[in-house]
Amino acid sequence: MPFRETFWNIPHWAEIGQYVLGLLTILVFAYGVFRRVKRWRMGKPEKRLDRIGERLWSVLVDAFGQVRTAQDAYAGIMHLTIFWGMVALFIGTALATVDWDVTHLFFGFQFLINGAYILYELILDIFGVLLLIGLGMAVYRRYFIRPSRLQSATAWQKALTQNFDRDDAYALVMLTLITLSGYFVEGLRIAVSKPEWAPWSPVGNALASWFIATGDPTNRTLHLTLWTIHILVAFVLIASIPFTKLFHILAAPLNIFFCTIQPAGTLIAARNDDQIGVKEWRDFSWKQLLDFEACVRCGRCQDNCPAFASGASLSPRNLIISLKTHLWDTSSGHKLHGDVISSKELWACTSCRACVQVCPVYVDHLASIIDMRRYLVNEGEVDALLQKTLANLGRYGNSFGQSERMRAKWTQPIQPVIKDARKEAVEYLWFVGDYASYHVMFSDITRKTAQVFQKADLNFGILYDAERNTGNDVRRVGEEGLFESLVEKNTAAMDKCKYNAIITTDPHSYNTLKNEYSANGNHRLVFHYTELLDQLIASGKLQFNRKLDYRVTYHDPCYLGRYNGIYDAPRRVIRALGCDLIEMPRHGDRAFCCGAGGGKIWMEEQPDVKERPAESRVREAAGMSGVSTLVTTCPKDLVMFRDAVKTAGLEEKILVKDLIELVHEAL
Amino acid sequence: MNIVALFKLVPDLVEELEIDQNGTALNTDFLRLIINEFDDHAIEQAILLKERSGARVSVLGPDIEGADDVLYTAASKGADQVIKLTGDFQGKANNHAMARAVASTLKELQADLILTGVQANTDLDGSMGALLAEYLDMPYVGYVSGVNTVDGKVVARKEYPGGLVAEMEIKLPAVLGIQAAEQPPRYVAVSKVRQAMKTATIEERPLAEADLSGGSTIHRMFKPEAGTRAEMIEGSADEVAARLVGIFKEIGVL
Ligand code: SF4
Ligand code: SF4
Repeated sequence: MPFRETFWNIPHWAEIGQYVLGLLTILVFAYGVFRRVKRWRMGKPEKRLDRIGERLWSVLVDAFGQVRTAQDAYAGIMHLTIFWGMVALFIGTALATVDWDVTHLFFGFQFLINGAYILYELILDIFGVLLLIGLGMAVYRRYFIRPSRLQSATAWQKALTQNFDRDDAYALVMLTLITLSGYFVEGLRIAVSKPEWAPWSPVGNALASWFIATGDPTNRTLHLTLWTIHILVAFVLIASIPFTKLFHILAAPLNIFFCTIQPAGTLIAARNDDQIGVKEWRDFSWKQLLDFEACVRCGRCQDNCPAFASGASLSPRNLIISLKTHLWDTSSGHKLHGDVISSKELWACTSCRACVQVCPVYVDHLASIIDMRRYLVNEGEVDALLQKTLANLGRYGNSFGQSERMRAKWTQPIQPVIKDARKEAVEYLWFVGDYASYHVMFSDITRKTAQVFQKADLNFGILYDAERNTGNDVRRVGEEGLFESLVEKNTAAMDKCKYNAIITTDPHSYNTLKNEYSANGNHRLVFHYTELLDQLIASGKLQFNRKLDYRVTYHDPCYLGRYNGIYDAPRRVIRALGCDLIEMPRHGDRAFCCGAGGGKIWMEEQPDVKERPAESRVREAAGMSGVSTLVTTCPKDLVMFRDAVKTAGLEEKILVKDLIELVHEAL
Repeated sequence: MNIVALFKLVPDLVEELEIDQNGTALNTDFLRLIINEFDDHAIEQAILLKERSGARVSVLGPDIEGADDVLYTAASKGADQVIKLTGDFQGKANNHAMARAVASTLKELQADLILTGVQANTDLDGSMGALLAEYLDMPYVGYVSGVNTVDGKVVARKEYPGGLVAEMEIKLPAVLGIQAAEQPPRYVAVSKVRQAMKTATIEERPLAEADLSGGSTIHRMFKPEAGTRAEMIEGSADEVAARLVGIFKEIGVL
């Protein structure tokens, strides 16, 4: 009858010793976890226990299923094999122990016998091989391919990385040791006891053939030695989990469970205590501290960050690593602002959300960046251009520093006159936005938008000089007070109007109107104009006389795509026009930010920028074969890209157009 | 040390300026007021002095639309006392009248150092600082771009054309006309201003009856009239020179 004596060749003292060690391990482990949790609890309170079902689902999908991790094929396969390999072997070991020391010892029966046992041995052998493949891939990647995202960038990071390098190596060495010693223990056992079912442990059996010649008692001694090593390594590994990078085994699922569950476009409001924004690490919420601890330094965020790609000093990975290090650095006296995180890093962020989108453990870099910005703004530490813009926004309600009386100047030539939503009821309240209203490059396009709406017989109106900047980017700059005052003004103006839904030109306005203006239960129906066009085309209210046979590519604006998941509506409109849509390599939720968001467009250019994100993007578009036009649906994109096309000298190669221009052309 | 920073509100140039029907003043219907930029620097300089060497800072301005904002902003920067002067400012007040009226308030406040913008675009009858110094019988230095206090005196930095800088020691009490603070006025977050609205109180002090004498009288106010178009002279150097000589003779300068 196939079965295994779990403690074959193990003297009684060793078996007892194992349990004593196990107990010790649990104690050390528990202390380590306690120490971490204690530290997180030093952060500010925050409620994170709503919608438990969704939270558990995320844990299932991305902690156990690791769907996000798998989006990067190599790293995904590598990590999944290591993870599931370890899980299987751990369960296997636990089962064998229970089988022998619980059910057999106390109840006199074993469940790992016959077919079940054979299956058990086979499965464990296979998972062991998978684990070794994963570990091999990890070693090859980390030490031979050496992708840049696994390296550190800044000098003080490098100083720290000595530790991180050891930490990384430690995990790989220990896991490899456990697996190999396990196989050798199995091989030696088979070599000595030669069970007839040995072929069901293919790896162990193969190893056994090496040792048969050595014979007993050497093999028994060897077996006991390796068993001891196996046990010691396993216990040390488990005990060290809360003290090494392996802690992500716990921190990652926790971080995923406690993730921000509200819409991506709803920023967590500034905490309202004496300290505005984050000045010291204790001003972060416990969840933010958990974010830092959950980071596995995989570098995906850095790979997708437009600020990093442009050569700016920000790497979201380094930022999180620095914060984590600072959290435990009690002796150096480093200050959070200045020593650990520079204001340059904080101001480099475009709030594009690419980092948050790709992080396999759901770190929310942006929430922390904005919390730290809030502190800087409150201290008045903003650059001169941003200061002027914020002052303009406060005084005139627009970033251009023009009179609100000029806001609707673009409407002048339009006939029939656009309705004033403050004076008559309309179906759609069109929130035009600053760029579409004031920017010289855009006023013609805004008129075309109005004409398209008129052509589709839309009953719409605007707020004329009562409209203010919505404050989406004001909020992301960290000027919460100004954001609130803009919200108050816009809300007061809109509340006086009768309308069914809001349409916006600008994805930024769209985002905050939809996700943040409704905070006080004041839900509004908000559409981006592309969504509306898509509906109008589908219902036949908008028909085209001309078919456009351009070959175009489409840029997903961050605040439409990643923030609000609108990827298909604009694409359907483009196709309805007859255009041939070619996708750029970075599209959909991986679209590369134009560099304008989060208030960047209002700041002075940082000197360390090598290639501006917008230039990188138009080069990408111009490199698509046969593509003549880069289509966008965001006024800021248009301004950034048209400028970038000039500076990159690509005027001959590519045109930048707003989707509405093409729609207007096809009418 | 008591530092008083004085400000006035001037027309905001983002709006088109219009001249009223009489043709002697701005049409105030569409006028929007903003703090005189130099006065903003004067306030900043006062706060910087306080932060550096300790002082009591009072900020003072006329009670007209926009003054509350300026005062609350000053309070959130760290001004200890914010005061608005109540009275009739409509159209009549000129700098002479204003300086005379403020002088008594400044005496009440026992000001050691008075800072105000060196100029404003509404100064039709001389700059405020110099007039104040006259009525208070204090020394005055204008175009100052940096101040330090040293043992009851101040050292002011004054820039001259041609890149020359002078540092001069001035006995207190004194009036300084600020051209620029050492640092541009800082940004004050809206939440801070809102906080100040809750905690700070704006004091009101009535202004003495306006005595308009000494001010200027406006006969006509008008927008710059466009001159006749420029003429571009084309051709070789010799031709251009010949044409120029011809023109000079025509208009009688040659
Ligand atoms: S939001 Fe965008 S710019 Fe900011 S850190 Fe993340 S990836 Fe970089
Ligand atoms: S923050 Fe997330 S994506 Fe970035 S390095 Fe850490 S784990 Fe990876």
